[in-house]
Order: sequence, then C-alpha cells, then structure tokens
Amino acid sequence: MQKQTVRYSYLRQQFDDCDEILQEIKTLVHSGKFTLGPPVAQFEKSFAELIGTKHAIGVGSGTDALKLSLKAAGVGYGDEVITAANTFIATAGAINEIGARPVFVDATPYYTIDASKIKAAITSKTKAIMPVHYTGEPADMVEIMSVAKEHGLIVIEDACQSILANVEGKNAGTFGLAGGFSLHPLKNLNVWGDAGVIVTNSDEMNERLRLLRNHGLRDRDEIEIFGYNSRLDSIQAVVGNWLIKKTHEITARRIANANRYDELFHELEGKVFMPCRRENVKRVYHLFEFEVDETVRDDLYTHLRDRGVEAKIHYPIPLFLQPGLKHLGYKSGDFPATEKQAKRVITLPVDQHLESDQITYCFEQVKSFFKK
Amino acid sequence: MKVPYVDFSAQFNELKTETLEAIQSVFQKGDFILGDAVSEFENRFAHLIGVKHAIGVANGTDAIVLALKILGVGSGDEVITVPNSWISTAAAIAFAGATPRFVDVEFNQLIDLNLLEKSITPQTKAIIPVHLTGRCCNLPALRRFCDDRKLFLIEDCAQSVTSSFDGFSAGTVGEVNCFSLHPLKNLNAAGDAGMITTNSDEYAARARTLRNHGLIDRDNASEWGFNSRLDTIQAAVLLTRIGKLNDWVHARRKNAAKYRHGLKDLAPRVQMPEDAHSEWNTYHLFVIQCDHRNLLREHLTKQGISTKIHYPIPIHLQPPGIKLGYSKGSFPVTEQQAERILSLPIHQYLKNEQIDYIIDEIKIFFTKHAG
Repeated sequence: MQKQTVRYSYLRQQFDDCDEILQEIKTLVHSGKFTLGPPVAQFEKSFAELIGTKHAIGVGSGTDALKLSLKAAGVGYGDEVITAANTFIATAGAINEIGARPVFVDATPYYTIDASKIKAAITSKTKAIMPVHYTGEPADMVEIMSVAKEHGLIVIEDACQSILANVEGKNAGTFGLAGGFSLHPLKNLNVWGDAGVIVTNSDEMNERLRLLRNHGLRDRDEIEIFGYNSRLDSIQAVVGNWLIKKTHEITARRIANANRYDELFHELEGKVFMPCRRENVKRVYHLFEFEVDETVRDDLYTHLRDRGVEAKIHYPIPLFLQPGLKHLGYKSGDFPATEKQAKRVITLPVDQHLESDQITYCFEQVKSFFKK
Repeated sequence: MKVPYVDFSAQFNELKTETLEAIQSVFQKGDFILGDAVSEFENRFAHLIGVKHAIGVANGTDAIVLALKILGVGSGDEVITVPNSWISTAAAIAFAGATPRFVDVEFNQLIDLNLLEKSITPQTKAIIPVHLTGRCCNLPALRRFCDDRKLFLIEDCAQSVTSSFDGFSAGTVGEVNCFSLHPLKNLNAAGDAGMITTNSDEYAARARTLRNHGLIDRDNASEWGFNSRLDTIQAAVLLTRIGKLNDWVHARRKNAAKYRHGLKDLAPRVQMPEDAHSEWNTYHLFVIQCDHRNLLREHLTKQGISTKIHYPIPIHLQPPGIKLGYSKGSFPVTEQQAERILSLPIHQYLKNEQIDYIIDEIKIFFTKHAG
C-alpha cells in the first residue's frame, strides 16, 4: 500500500470554501458590534434549539463554561466537586478556579465517570458532581442524577466533547442544572478560536450566567455582582452560525466513520480492544479511541506516525499523577482503570472530512504493526 | 451635525484590505489557538512598550487575574486600588480570593499617593494603580513606595497603551502589568483581547503556562491554570493596527489640544485635563469636569453629539462594593467626580469641524447656564 498522510486536523478542508463567513465578518467589522453583537444572540438561539434547552449562553471558552456554571450554581471556596479522573485538565482547572476542590472518581470501560463509585467519594463538603461526556461518549446520566438527587448535589455536565450525544434520546448537557460545551477549533462544532456555550433550562441560572460573563453588569453602569469577562466573540459567533446548521451532518459522518473502524477492527480482536459499546446511548465520536497492550502502545504510536497517520494519545499522564497537582494528595494506584487506560489508549482521526480510503489506510497500518 | 463617540466604520475603511487579508491568512493556516500571529504580535507589542516580555491573553480582566496569580496574591491578602476604575480591576482582585481596598484619587482621576500610606495594613500585598483615561500615574514614586514596603506593583494599563510619566512607560515598571485591547481601546482588536507585560523571565513563563491550562507542554501540567488565550485571529487584526497606533495617538492629542484651546474661556466652570510636560497622555478619553453635567450631556445629545460617563457609579457604591463595607462619603473626590465628569468624543477620525461644533455647543450651553 502506498504511503498516505492522514492528518488529524481537518480545518483546511472544513473552511476551504468560506467566502460567506468572510463576507459576514466584513459586515460585522464594519458595524463594530464586536462585544455581544447580533451574531451572538443568533447563535445562542440556534444552539438552544439544537440541544433542546430553554437557554444557551455564549462564553469565552469551554473551560469558562464550566467555571461560570459552577459559580452561578453557588459552588465556591471550600466545596468539593466530584469529577472524572480521566478528563482533560480544564475540567478540574475550572473547579479549582472558583476555589473548590476536585475529587476524582475512576473511569468505566467506556471512558466516562464510573457512577457506581460516586457515592464513596461524597463527603460533607461535596456540593456538586461534574460528569464528563468524554470522547463523545455520554456518561451514565440516569444513575448519576439519581445519586445526585439522593444526596442533594448539583450536577453540572462537562459536555465539551459531546455535542448531540444522548442517553435514551436525551441530550448530553440537559440532565443537570447546566451543561458546558466547547467550540474550540478541534471540536465537532468548532469556530476559529476559543469559544464556549452553556445550556440550561433554569431562568435563574440563565440570568446569573449572563451577568457573570459580562462583569456582573445589569446595564452599562450598574453592577450587580463581581463578574468575569468571558464573552463569546461576535466574530466567532459568525463562524458558529455558519457551521451550526451542519452539526447533525457532521455528527452522522463521524458516527459512520467510527462504525467503519469498528467493523474493520473485528479482524484484530485480541490485539485491539474497542471500548465497551453500550446500547441506548448515542456517542458522537469527538475522539475515536481504543486500547492495545501497554507494552506495545508507544511502538504502535510511532509505527503509525512513521507511516503518515497522525495518531494521538488522550492523555498519557492522568491528572491525578501530574507533578503540578501533587497537593491533591493522590498517588499511583488510586484510580486503576484510568491509570491502565492512560497506558493503553490511542486515538485515530475520525472527523467528518476523512475519506473512506483514509480509514482503510489507518486500519491497514495498525494491522501491519501486529503482523510484525 | 452627528458626532459619534466612536467610529468603527472609519477604522474599518482605513485598513479594510489588511484586516480581511489578515483574517483570511489565519483561517488558511488553521492555527487558531496560539498561532504564529500571536507570537508575532507579542514581540511587536513588547517592543512598542519597551519591555522584555509581552504575553497575549483573552482580555484585560483576565490579565489582572493572571497577574495576581503569578505574584501569589490570594486568599487573606489585601490589594489596594482605586474606586473610580472600571469594575474589572476590583473584580479581578476578588476572584483571586483577595480583598480590594480602595484609595481615593486626585483631580487628575489617578490614585492619590498621599493617601496610600494610611491604607496599608499587614495584609496588604500589592497595589494596582490604574492609568485611567490615557494618563500614566507617577510611576517612579509608586515604585519607590512599593519597594520600601515590599509590596508588588501591578499596573492597570487597560486605557493607556504607550502613555508615560517622566519617561517611564506604562507597563514597564510594575512586576507584572496588564493591558486591554478591547474594541473600544486606542489599540483595539475586533473582539476581546488583552496583554500582560513583564521584565521577569520567570513571571513571563508562568503567564504562558497559566493562560493555557497550566500546561508546560501538551501532556504535562505544572499547576492549575486558566483558559485565557489571545485568539490568533485577534492577534492578526492587531498586527495590522499596531503600526498605526502612533499616528492615532498623535491625532487624539491634536484633538485634545483643540478642545483645550477652544474651551479655555470657560474655565473654571469647565475643567479640562491639564497637559503637563512630564507626561505623555494618549487620550483614551478626554474627560471634562463641570457642574450641570447631566444637563450639558442632554443638550449635546439633542445636538447629535454622543458623549459618555466613565463611570457614573463608583465601584465602592455598587452592590459588591457596599458589601466590602464602603458607603457614600468614603471617597469624596471620586464621588464628586462621578457627578461632574463627561467624556467628549476624542477618537482619531474626528474632523476639525466636528470638534468646532462640539466646542460651540458647549459654549452655547454655558451661556444659557451663566453663573
């Protein structure tokens, strides 16, 4: 097979023809309505409709979406927030930013927080649970909501990687008090820089979040509370408005690509381990991750890279083992599933612009590795 | 005649091709997050200010939050600032877990150095003077004061890109300094944007880590961080504008001189910012102080002249400020100015006849309100 390049980032293809966006940006720059301008309100409306919530609030980033949601829900200094041990640092960083302490819980074989282990992590200081719909896989929200209800805990969902993922038809981000989404350039629905959105059905949360993202300003001159500066840029909203109509199509393409990988990888059973594919959920494949034996993972990664496949590792060092976060008091062995996965996982490109021969090529390269 | 307070349309027309090409080049490359334009702009900005490091962040508020974090200011500490600033200065202190402590200002709307001493407590960790309206505070005096008492100096330069006092440029004297490049600023992006400047290698490295989740590389976190990055697109837009700033500042200063000349006969009823030789005022705002302020504003609005008040309600009298224990009377100069200040249009695209018109209308108003 001839060598190909299968790139991870597809931004060039995605925005190959975007004269429409440039035209809109031109109009915006001309009008000068950069701060919370009309494109932001329009995007918020479309996003709320897409996810099926009463409100959507555009903010500066996915990290800020989580931070502001926690703050608006009244979580703060001295509180504990339970979250997944295997997430990207931003989830725990957002919890830390508002003065709370992240408390980790180990992962399921499908890379979301293990709901059965949440109870054991609850203390008198626990105020909220922040499940992460990681890789596009929705967390076990029915179980999580029931634990939260039993213990009177707030649920804020980290849906940064999981737009349109659902559990039994109910979308990620709509189970808890609020859900945070990221529109970072590498996300399924993406813009040209940092951006995020919060969804909620609560009028009170909506009102507080709109204050918090804009300096706590009730109007230009009156400040109700100390707030942040975390606004969705109007320019980014223009890009978002252009792309949001395509979200269902993007999602369908990613799912089809993943299903194709799943079929192909049957052949490598015993060598390549797919995460458990649950019924009753819709996973949207922000990442296509699988596992191999830890003794060969790094070699496979190099093998793929050498052959033009831009594989990735999400993430080689779990948060609780990061030297910078030692003060949390965790040690190796505390979260065995997360630790094991970190040594075994590998990610292949799965985006909507991937061609079917590229999928075959990626698979063939994994196969050729195991032939050696 | 219509006189808008700002004129984005004129700015767009001045740099139309450059702006659109800049945006296009970023999306062609696809390096939207901390891309080439960000480091290029950081270098240009550091050079412009005359400082070793400039680090792009998401906005001016975040710049202050990060500065406090870098210097280890947090829970239990007190930070001194002014009550006549934009809310962000105080909010950033509160978010760092510290308590904002206000000090009143002088006629020039800048921190009153004579009041500093009695505001210091054992908990005081830092001072954040605000170079409001484009005027730079007395930096050498502030530096001496902070050095003598082992306090950090963080300059809030949100309104004062390239302003200076006695040859000391805003953003070069504090340990870590903060700029905003919001669309309404003299040097402006097409959305939220901010900068941190420092001469310390160590602080610069921390700023770069903190703005990006505490990550030292893709896989390793050295500490808790934030997501506060200057968008590549905004950096690209800023690169088209940074070379123009000097011209724009000169145009603003020329406008200020025109006001000063045209309104001098109204003294002392209309007070204007004095133009001292020791300072380089970049006139982000041109603020006059007078009685009957609201009536004057109404009159000007009726004549099609757009004005602003920066800011009508001081921070210490806003609900979160009152919670800190302040009340009416706590800062008499700030409170008096809040009733008297009015920002006239000063942007670089103002035409001479527009300024003449504004001057005439102010004169007409005060003839009616003689005495």
